[in-house]
Amino acid sequence: MILLPSPVFRRRDAMLTALGSLVALAVPVPVLAQETGGGRSAAIDVSNARNAPIPIAIPDMGGGSLGASIAGIIANDLGRSGLFRPLERAAFIQGGPTDGGAPNFENWKPTGAQALVTGQVFDDGTQVRVEFRLWDVLPGTQIQGTAFTAPRANWRKVAHIAADAIYLRLLGEKGYFDTRIAYVSSQGPKERRIRRLAIMDQDSDNQRFLTDGAWLALTPRFSPVRDEIVYMSYANNQPRVYALNISTGAQSALGRFETMTFSPRYSPDGGTVAMAASNGGGSDIVLVSGGAARRITSSGAIDVSPCFSPDGKRIVFASDRGGDQQIYLMGADGSAPKRISFGSGRYGTPVWSPRGDLIAFTRYAGDTSNFAIGVMRPDGSGERILADGWLVEGPTFAPNGRVLMFWRETRGDARGIGFSARLYSIDVTGFNEQAVATPADATDPAWSPLGV
Amino acid sequence: MPVSIPSVLTASGRLLPRDKRLRLGGAVSLMGHAAIFVALLVNLPARKVEDEKIPETAVEMIFDGRAKTTIKAPTPAPIPAPSKEIKPPAPPVTEAPKPEPIEAPPPPPPPPPPPEPPKISRPLPVPPSELPPPETSPREAPVVPPPPAPPAPPREAPPKLLAPPAPPPPDKPPPAQPSATAQPNPTRNMAPNSAAVEATLLRLRQQQRQTEPPRARPNPQAGGQPDSGGNPAANDTESLSASQRGVIGAHVRECWTKDSGARDLDKLSVVLNVGTDASGTVRVAAVAEEDRARLSDPVFQSFAERAVRAVRDVRCATLPLPTQMLGRNNNLTFRFRP
Repeated sequence: MILLPSPVFRRRDAMLTALGSLVALAVPVPVLAQETGGGRSAAIDVSNARNAPIPIAIPDMGGGSLGASIAGIIANDLGRSGLFRPLERAAFIQGGPTDGGAPNFENWKPTGAQALVTGQVFDDGTQVRVEFRLWDVLPGTQIQGTAFTAPRANWRKVAHIAADAIYLRLLGEKGYFDTRIAYVSSQGPKERRIRRLAIMDQDSDNQRFLTDGAWLALTPRFSPVRDEIVYMSYANNQPRVYALNISTGAQSALGRFETMTFSPRYSPDGGTVAMAASNGGGSDIVLVSGGAARRITSSGAIDVSPCFSPDGKRIVFASDRGGDQQIYLMGADGSAPKRISFGSGRYGTPVWSPRGDLIAFTRYAGDTSNFAIGVMRPDGSGERILADGWLVEGPTFAPNGRVLMFWRETRGDARGIGFSARLYSIDVTGFNEQAVATPADATDPAWSPLGV
Repeated sequence: MPVSIPSVLTASGRLLPRDKRLRLGGAVSLMGHAAIFVALLVNLPARKVEDEKIPETAVEMIFDGRAKTTIKAPTPAPIPAPSKEIKPPAPPVTEAPKPEPIEAPPPPPPPPPPPEPPKISRPLPVPPSELPPPETSPREAPVVPPPPAPPAPPREAPPKLLAPPAPPPPDKPPPAQPSATAQPNPTRNMAPNSAAVEATLLRLRQQQRQTEPPRARPNPQAGGQPDSGGNPAANDTESLSASQRGVIGAHVRECWTKDSGARDLDKLSVVLNVGTDASGTVRVAAVAEEDRARLSDPVFQSFAERAVRAVRDVRCATLPLPTQMLGRNNNLTFRFRP
């Protein structure tokens, strides 16, 4: 005869066993963590690092005034990034060696510099050759030594490239100094403003206009592979998206549409342009490739501002299909649209970071009168506001995904007095907001890829 | 019939015979013994005084103590008071062999041979020839690149950058004559070739660099002291208490910075092996073996270099080590997290 335990007893037994297991699991964990300290028993832990720029000394390079100018550009690039702190030259005990020799590190350590840039410039009138070395001051070692040669007219570009090389070596990520900004320049009285496409280096140098202002131009976007821009123009009072060759000035309409097209954006490989095409009371997302157009949304709502993910497999866009304008994700073929923004207010102008980790947006919160620029993860989490104001709009990422540029308008009176529109840049961490100098009011910035 | 001999008990308790003849003989004998005893008593001191001559030799020994500061104090010796009980000191005094070492040390040190410097006032031939560049660098004193170059001055092709040259000498030496070892044809620093050679050398140095610390360990059984050094892999961090580690970590934290926008920053951490000198100042800091393979990732490399700069920063390089760890070199392990 076999005696089976009663159900009551079995239940109590199981509960005690589970409780014992929990205690056994719970108690040793903190002890273990205390002993090992995360996998290694004997180590001095240093954490909670401060967010501080790297102090760097950039004395004049050899080669006369050109060497000094190139050193100045490098210092300006690195300093504006907010990740470096170029030291005041008055603090230098000596100048850098201008003949390619090694510096005396004992004269640089007291300045607080952790990195030192030295170099020399050779200028034969047609070509310029820049040799620079990057030194780690504390151990006294050279960690970078590079030479660049270019036509003399491109000496500023060489300086930006050198600054990118330093940025990469000290931060481990590509820089963004050898880049350009396309934007819409606005001049004239409020009612009759002339809006022209303009382009400049990221440090506001080499300003020039791309269009003559006869027609309104908006939302320029760079090609990732060609010296080309797509933008929306009201030429002949027919708002269309055009492709403009920056070098030759030649331009042509993208696709054949009977209706308005706008808010264009290139795919990462440069072979396709996604844009919005009006459709009755709403607008759809269309892809234009090789002259052929394909409509990938037809919700009947207003779908605008498409932007590819860095791998080209997904598209983020803004739509009011749910009532208010929000941000949605879908496949690059228009499949499986999914809303990712759920904060209060309306979201627009989404832009995918080239690094893939963030999506920038413009938000208009209904309960306030202000706009804001923010970022969120591609799944919609981690939303952060980086900048706000009466009107801030149009974020665009630097090619390394570390910096955003946008424009900010100030409110003017009825006659337009006090009104201004300026470009600003800000680190994705929310620090280091800086005004970007332009000769006139500026809106709709677009950041070029690196080296294009 | 047996004859009994009468006897009387003397005051000393001895039995004396009653016979007169015997009594006389006994008295004479007693007197003789007494005389001998007295004679002995009188003669003994004289003998002992003779023995006192021995201490004089001790005085000679003290002379040997050239190392006055090292051994015996000379004071007790010169007072050989003629007390009778001085005998015991005598035997130690007679450790006379001591004088022998006296003779050994005297050899005076040989006069130092005057180092005869080769009076070649001519400086090394390298820099002078390289000086020509009158390129007006506005601020800097003439700095001479040291790479051994022939006298031929004009530099035609700017050298390809790579290996850092040695620090320049302070003064301009006079132009040197071509030495006997000068090459007939000046060596030209062909930019592409030199770059290739330099790159190859750098790679070789990287490959040959010692990547592991010596594995030798002290052997206490053979007389080695566990804490006497000799093994860079020894980790002195274990001898620190948790609070001492916290104090050191807080000290270094003052110089620990990060780039908060770096990709995947929160996943980064790096372990450093740090060597300090006797004053507790960091002299060596390198990424630990376990993390060295990750240095190929530029972001991690940047992170690790920031950690190295933190411990080598002038403000933080002198660690607040406990006093028992000062006065000797220490090997510590740091783990840096953002």
